[in-house]
Amino acid sequence: MPVTERVSAEDALERVRSALGDNVTELHVNHGHVDLVCDPAKLVDVVRTLRDADGLRFEFFTFLSAVDRTEFGGGDGEKAGGLEVLIHLYSPQYVAHVTLHVPVALEGSTCPSITDLFLGALWHERETHEMFGIDFEGHPKLVNLYLPEDFAGNPLRRSFKLPSRNIKEWPGAKDPEEAAAGGR
Amino acid sequence: MATTEDRFTETDDLTNQMSVENLATQEMVLNVGPQHPATHGVFRLLATIDGEILTDAEPVIGYMHRGYEKLVEARDYRQITNLVSRMDWLSGINNELPLALAIEQLMGLEVPPRAQYLRVILCEMNRILNHLMFFASFGAELGAITPTFYAFREREDIQRVMEDTTGGRMHFGFFRPGGLKEDVPRGFYASALAGVRQVIDRLPDYENLLVGNEIFKGRTIDVGVLDKQTAFNYGVSGPIARGSGIDMDVRKDEPYLVYDHFDWEVSTAPNGDCFDRFWVLVHEVVESAKIVEQAIEGIPSGPILGKVPRVVQIPEGEAYIRTENPLGELGFYLISDGDKKPYRMKIRTPSYNNVSCLPAVLRGTLVSDMIAILGSFFFVLGDIDR
Repeated sequence: MPVTERVSAEDALERVRSALGDNVTELHVNHGHVDLVCDPAKLVDVVRTLRDADGLRFEFFTFLSAVDRTEFGGGDGEKAGGLEVLIHLYSPQYVAHVTLHVPVALEGSTCPSITDLFLGALWHERETHEMFGIDFEGHPKLVNLYLPEDFAGNPLRRSFKLPSRNIKEWPGAKDPEEAAAGGR
Repeated sequence: MATTEDRFTETDDLTNQMSVENLATQEMVLNVGPQHPATHGVFRLLATIDGEILTDAEPVIGYMHRGYEKLVEARDYRQITNLVSRMDWLSGINNELPLALAIEQLMGLEVPPRAQYLRVILCEMNRILNHLMFFASFGAELGAITPTFYAFREREDIQRVMEDTTGGRMHFGFFRPGGLKEDVPRGFYASALAGVRQVIDRLPDYENLLVGNEIFKGRTIDVGVLDKQTAFNYGVSGPIARGSGIDMDVRKDEPYLVYDHFDWEVSTAPNGDCFDRFWVLVHEVVESAKIVEQAIEGIPSGPILGKVPRVVQIPEGEAYIRTENPLGELGFYLISDGDKKPYRMKIRTPSYNNVSCLPAVLRGTLVSDMIAILGSFFFVLGDIDR
């Protein structure tokens, strides 16, 4: 689809605001992309509106993933958050981006599947399921994508430590000063 | 229910009974891979076939999963450059670019114009290398071995320029936050120009070997059609999407580096079949060569590295940065909490989304077309599995 109109991030934000109203919160522009927080219960409707509404047409599925913010900011608890699903959509017609942040529970995490709207989410949801332990309700076949079926744990959760790190810290120092002090 | 045996014994009307409708058939599962010469790596496909028709196809991936998204959380930014270079091993330097851009965006670093031009030149030469490789392999998969030798001969000249410049043939590790590792060596412009000009001069002949070949046409035209809507729905990008008539290229839509300084065109083709995907791939080589020529002509002098702090430490924030990899949209969603390593980095690779739509394309096609379709999706396994 050719670009019909280049919409600035601020205009895109206003269009999203008027199309979604109270269904989303914390609407703002972040590095040129529209950023918003959406409740899981409203996710499917919000994504459908973003995809189909005139003037938005976020028809291109970029990615779906998640982030575990429990250790954010060093893990002292001040900036730390919970688990959230990230969805990024792109509007080829208006050259606009939107990132959805969907907060989900840390234990027994569930999130509605958007595979009815974007078939591209089939693999992304399977990957997020195995990596973060989030169940996507309505996904036709939520089985592991990369990991073997008997793999224990959800590797991208912060509580899952890299096996090699459990034994020994990474030998490379993070910056030159530390390297000089440590001899390596 | 009558068995096949009954039918043969009970009836005189053998011709009627032998018609396709009345033959008892059943679906079977054909396992392709994970080690198969046509899959460019360890890719497995579970194909359900009914006679000659594929009724379903399920790609099985993960044989090369290295867990990059976990690994990057334990490494600092300088180490990650070399890690991401290994995702799509045919376009190493293109993988390093969005990481450098993401770090620069979040830290607010300025990149000197000369470094931007050199980045464009190296990325486009890498794109030519990548496309020539798929030009070679696609021909070979359809039984035409000759284009492989020609393509590899042309690749070698450009490959040598890349090697002289960066020291590597596949994993370059050449981009740094803020610029480049070092300036290009003496004689770079002349040999780079000679390399790409030679490709432009000879490409029409090679193209004709395949595109003008009746057998090649017969095996690719109207085979494995991917329509526009499905492409959007799966997030298919790059030459595959452009072969389906989608005029989408990050370099044009949201120009990064200095891509808006050059005169070039996005190649598209309308039909979405194997032939069109291949056609787009071949024509992108010419456009890349045009960009390289113009960039070499207009390259400014100056430093190749901007002012970068000694320690790369990104302030709290997050951003999604995407670039046009040879195979499609490569993006990094980088989340930093102010540390010297990423808090989380989601890697969005082109091959992953492109290949995820294979079941939709393969369903209903003939078994004999399967390899042509797989080959025309131009994927790299390291890029899918990460």
